[in-house]
Amino acid sequence: MTSKSVISASELSVRIDQRTILDNLNFEVGKGEVFALLGGNGAGKSTTLKTFLGLMKPSTGTASVMGMSVAENTNEVQKSVAYLPESVTLYGHLSGYENIRYFLSVAGVEKTDDAIHEALNKVALQENAWHNTLSNYSKGMRQKTAIALAILRNAPVLFLDEPTSGLDPAAIDEFNSLVSELANNGATIFMVTHDVYGACQVAHRIVLLSNGKLTGSFERVGDTPIDTEAVHAAFAGRK
Amino acid sequence: MMSNTIKTICAEQWRYWLRTKVATTVLILGSVLTLAALVVNAFHIEEAAHARENLQHEAEERFLSQPDKHPHRMVHYGHYVFRTPTPLSVIEPGVDTYTGNAIFLEGHRQNSAMFAEQRQSAGLTRFSSLTPSFLALVLAPLFIILIGYGSVSREREAGTLTLLLTQGASRWQLVLGKLVALMLASSIFLLPLLLACLYVAFSNESALVVTLFCLGYALYFLLWAVVVTACSTLFEKSSASFTVLIVIWMSACILLPRMGSSVATSVEPSIGKLEADFKVEEKLRNLGDGHDVNDPAFVKLKQELLDKYNVNSVDDLPVNFRGIVAQYSEQRQAVVINEFAESRMQEELAQARIARQFGWLSPTVALRSFSTLLAGTSIETHHRFLREAEILRMQFVQGLNKVHVEKLDYKLDMNRNSSEEAADKAVVEASNWAVLSEFSFQPEAPMARLSSAAMYCLQLLLWVGVAALLLKLAVRRLNP
Repeated sequence: MTSKSVISASELSVRIDQRTILDNLNFEVGKGEVFALLGGNGAGKSTTLKTFLGLMKPSTGTASVMGMSVAENTNEVQKSVAYLPESVTLYGHLSGYENIRYFLSVAGVEKTDDAIHEALNKVALQENAWHNTLSNYSKGMRQKTAIALAILRNAPVLFLDEPTSGLDPAAIDEFNSLVSELANNGATIFMVTHDVYGACQVAHRIVLLSNGKLTGSFERVGDTPIDTEAVHAAFAGRK
Repeated sequence: MMSNTIKTICAEQWRYWLRTKVATTVLILGSVLTLAALVVNAFHIEEAAHARENLQHEAEERFLSQPDKHPHRMVHYGHYVFRTPTPLSVIEPGVDTYTGNAIFLEGHRQNSAMFAEQRQSAGLTRFSSLTPSFLALVLAPLFIILIGYGSVSREREAGTLTLLLTQGASRWQLVLGKLVALMLASSIFLLPLLLACLYVAFSNESALVVTLFCLGYALYFLLWAVVVTACSTLFEKSSASFTVLIVIWMSACILLPRMGSSVATSVEPSIGKLEADFKVEEKLRNLGDGHDVNDPAFVKLKQELLDKYNVNSVDDLPVNFRGIVAQYSEQRQAVVINEFAESRMQEELAQARIARQFGWLSPTVALRSFSTLLAGTSIETHHRFLREAEILRMQFVQGLNKVHVEKLDYKLDMNRNSSEEAADKAVVEASNWAVLSEFSFQPEAPMARLSSAAMYCLQLLLWVGVAALLLKLAVRRLNP
């Protein structure tokens, strides 16, 4: 792990019932970097994410966040990161505003109403929906609520699970802008996705994961997005 | 001290319950039912206590106001004694519901207690009797299950568990938050009981007994809250958690208590009342007819008396021979009657003790044993009432027999059936009816009740320990 890396995997392996899910992963993610782990179904993306979130323990090797071993400092790591699940699962009986208040309270983060309103405005959630119960929200609106929560957590590290899945193109653009803005402000973003186009648009680096192994890496040069065709070819196994 | 995270999770669980109509309905229904049962039971017991007091007074007055009569007619006229229920029977009527608390005292027979709730009513009433203890023992756990079976599993099913854990909440904080919320919900069912106990504490009952009685129920509710939370944590699906909890509830609250009774009656079988009555009658017949002075059973008694008073005929005795025979016969009959009664009580006690061992298998049985023993509504207390009533019966009957011996002339007595005039002469003055002793039955002393209930407190504590271990296992296995 370099001194600048915020997230790192060192010889990280996870085995469940004699089956190798992650096989000797090694990578580092720097501060302010948007890192995309790209892979198909069953590649091991969710297991990687769960290991970094402290929901699974590595069989061998280390998953570290901000210099702390996740397995050994699970609670400290969880307090320093924000997580955006694939299907945003907030409470249907609460409003977007109440969901944010509750999760902030569980995380031990105190925020004023103004700060919450600012975050909701930032993610462009319509004001008239703030106090409606979540059961009336679209997937995009739920996604925005969860991002507002992540922003309010002031977490230096964000883990995103298939963040653009199910969003319409306009919402994806809004989301990508938001991720870029967060990264520019110094947040380190680790996303797992199978959306090649979306990853190329927003990521500084894309790493391919197949059958639990890292099989390729693509890096953005300057402001030019990573070449979608090249990544797609590698992802589809044509290269 | 409880962490803020636990408080937050607990508060959110309550908000969910309050916004979910089903949970709110269960909470309201449970607390209203408990409160209603308490109020109805308290009124009923208060009313019954007054009625008993009046009946006791009335029975005494009626007995004492009887005119000059033959003393043996007064023996058969009989008398009632009543037992005032213990203050805690408002909550835990125990065996009183079936055994009753009034006894008709008369010569030559030992009557069982009567005026029991279940004896006065049709058979179906047995199933509709909502006593506060039944609600707390059987229905409250069901309500706790209905409210809490999905408290943790719902988070996993909805996917919010992952989000919660990644906010930095530990598994224990999450589960404890849910448990505290469920404990608070359970206390809604406990609150009416506590209020009733507070009322009882001012009704001449030991404060220590009342406090331990409340603690027993609090421990029972805590136990169910822990079991429900543990199952909700252990099972991935709410439906699985619900099914398992219902099976546990049915076993603990319905099947095992009944199985305990069935096993007890199989291991310690007792003969039926009719069969026992026939056997008693058969034995009593061998003792001779106390109404007939010429019965061969009393030849020896007659000779002893003639020798004692050095006379040749019973006519010359200074005492009424019929009265002596009645006294003698009653004494011998009492030995037989008490032998059967003791044997029946020992069988009932042995059965109760076997049934109580099922407290190691069911916390419901454990609390039932604990609360009836503490409340003074156990079979032991009932047996003591029967024994004390029997002593009173003997004092009453033998008191009248003594009047028969000493105050009624033998010749007048023997001629009583010859004419109406003779019958009128074979009487004693009504002033002789003052043979009734005051009867005031008291439950066992608090320390005696505490000592007999200690074992069942241990059973309850063991159950709480088992539930705590189950919760620990569930938390260890909790994964999104």
